[in-house]
Amino acid sequence: MLCRFPVWPYSGMSTDTLSSTVTPRRQIAAVVLAAALLGVVFAPTVYGMTNETSDAVAVVEIEGPVNTALADDVESELTSIRGNESVGAVVLKIDTSGGAPVASERIYKAVQRTGEEMTVIASVQEISASGGYYAMAPADEIYVLPTSLVGSIGLNAPSPRTTSPISGPSGPDKVGGNAIEGWAERQTLADTFVNAMMAERGETFRMPREEVAKADVYLGTEAVRNGFADEIGSLNEAIHAAATAEDLGDYRVDTRETGPDSPFPILIRTDQQVVAVHANDPGYGDVEPMGVAYVHLDSVPHVDTIERFSADDISAERAGAAADGSGAADESGADGTTDGSAPAGAGGASA
Amino acid sequence: MNRPATLLVAFLVTFATITAGSAVAGYATADGTAPSPEIENDHYLEEDLINDGTPGQADVTMSSDESSQTVVVDPGVEAGGTPGLGLLALLGFGGPDVADRDIRPLANALIENGHDVRVYAPDDDQRRPRDSPDGEPTTLGEELAEADAFVTFRTDYSDEELEDIESFVDGDGRVLLATEPGATFEQPGPASLDARLDVTTGTGYVYNMAENDLNYQRVYAEPDADSALTADVDRAVFPTATTVGTAAGSAEFRPIAGSELSTTRAATEEPLLVRDDGVVMVGDSDFLSPENAQRADNDVLIGNLADFLVTNDRNPARQPPNTDDRAGPTGPTGPTGPTQPQEPTENATSAGGSDTATAR
Repeated sequence: MLCRFPVWPYSGMSTDTLSSTVTPRRQIAAVVLAAALLGVVFAPTVYGMTNETSDAVAVVEIEGPVNTALADDVESELTSIRGNESVGAVVLKIDTSGGAPVASERIYKAVQRTGEEMTVIASVQEISASGGYYAMAPADEIYVLPTSLVGSIGLNAPSPRTTSPISGPSGPDKVGGNAIEGWAERQTLADTFVNAMMAERGETFRMPREEVAKADVYLGTEAVRNGFADEIGSLNEAIHAAATAEDLGDYRVDTRETGPDSPFPILIRTDQQVVAVHANDPGYGDVEPMGVAYVHLDSVPHVDTIERFSADDISAERAGAAADGSGAADESGADGTTDGSAPAGAGGASA
Repeated sequence: MNRPATLLVAFLVTFATITAGSAVAGYATADGTAPSPEIENDHYLEEDLINDGTPGQADVTMSSDESSQTVVVDPGVEAGGTPGLGLLALLGFGGPDVADRDIRPLANALIENGHDVRVYAPDDDQRRPRDSPDGEPTTLGEELAEADAFVTFRTDYSDEELEDIESFVDGDGRVLLATEPGATFEQPGPASLDARLDVTTGTGYVYNMAENDLNYQRVYAEPDADSALTADVDRAVFPTATTVGTAAGSAEFRPIAGSELSTTRAATEEPLLVRDDGVVMVGDSDFLSPENAQRADNDVLIGNLADFLVTNDRNPARQPPNTDDRAGPTGPTGPTGPTQPQEPTENATSAGGSDTATAR
């Protein structure tokens, strides 16, 4: 069957012919419809562009032991922030009792560089001590909560000892060393830390250098009086203060997580030193001795404490396993074991 | 220009415009690594930041020309329960504990000057206070009966041993008691020995944040007055020291200004080394170690202490403790002439005492 309707362009219909067939009203309607369709497509994008402010306050999280992985992340984030014109201010969300000296210094330098370009405010959560305090010291202001802990400006290191002669090494200091040289090296490490803190906050500390070097920690309420902190306030208040300092007006909060995804490493102290443990069931490669550390020692559990609680857990698990896998007679025995171990565990906890 | 050419030009112009625009936009919005501002951290470059770790030199010399004296050393029991391991360990051989060689500079000085150094190393059964059976002399008493001087780092003696030590002091024997801050807490009964020797031990430890020998606990001490013990000593270093006292004697060394006490966190001037006649008590034992003998004037102080030990009026043959008298009443059995501790070189020891010691 032949088509009855002319098909453009094969119809050879001229413009005059189109004008005559499509009325001006219809042309307007078609254009309006096309514009509406395009508008619907682009509207969400335009809405997002106008609704989202271009200014941001970046919140960089510095949590857990200060180590190489954390320093890598913090350096990277702060570098990215400095290159991002939409970020107008930075808040460091801090919760760490310190860690490795070099990692602390790396974060310290990164915060310094960022502070040259924009307002940086540190917001301490539970604790920012030792290497953590080192890292945040260049911030324009330090916010603490009333019971936050800050301070511990000093070095943890085992006492140097003169060693017996060791055969094999190429020089006397390759293995072992001289006790006096060891003391000098430790004191230089400690002075490096204290000097940096005096350079950053010497005019804020209301105490002499010797008192700062005692490495005490202070509650937030005391820290704002002695100059270890500037304001009592939460993270939100720190963010608002940072935005206000940069006249951001409307702003968004851009949170940057740092550090490893897992809860490791954890720090454990032995009688001699602090070690970083990188796994729950650590193998040889998961334990990292830290000969010297900028760490608040009271925040680091002793290995004996961990073993004691682990022993309670193990005995409880064994008792539970015995109860699950045996008859009534065995259950009574397992209960007895559990009852006997529970008070010991409670006593250990209260002690 | 014909129609195909027009269409081609239009295509090229449009394409070039779009790609060039994209290039300009990309260049303008490039988001690379921002240049890092340069920051001068002068505090890392301060000249006095690097602490001098030069170990130093020690030259322990004695001014006394006394003939051979016998000095008994009780190296004590390590806080962790490790016993003293005898003379070899004391001199740095055969034992893993560094503490066992702590007094080598003092021992060497005594040996080099012709004196006899004996080490009282109790066996396992005697490492803790234990009364001897009635009438039986203690091993320590037997050692002291033949000695002129006694150096001890131990405080947990039995009542019988304390009695022997007291008799030894009453019999003109010289005693050097070196304690540590930890001894106050870790070992039982130090007050008993203190009471026998009429000395006291303070609590906590002394530190100095402003001026110290590479660590706040390694405190400097200065002479309290001119004496035989302080002669030619400007400063001594006492690592981890506690304060000591004496009721009747004199303070010899006090910590320098700025020193504080750990228990009070307040300034302290309490002495670190005192002398009560024939007894010297010092609130530190590490200052005698080889590496610490090289610090400040510790070598001079050690030499002075060696002189103190060998300059005595004791005659072991005639003065207590005398093991033969163990069953009888304890007390002086011989002449106990007055000592003149401030001028040791003028106190000639009796020839009989020296002969007894060297004839061992």
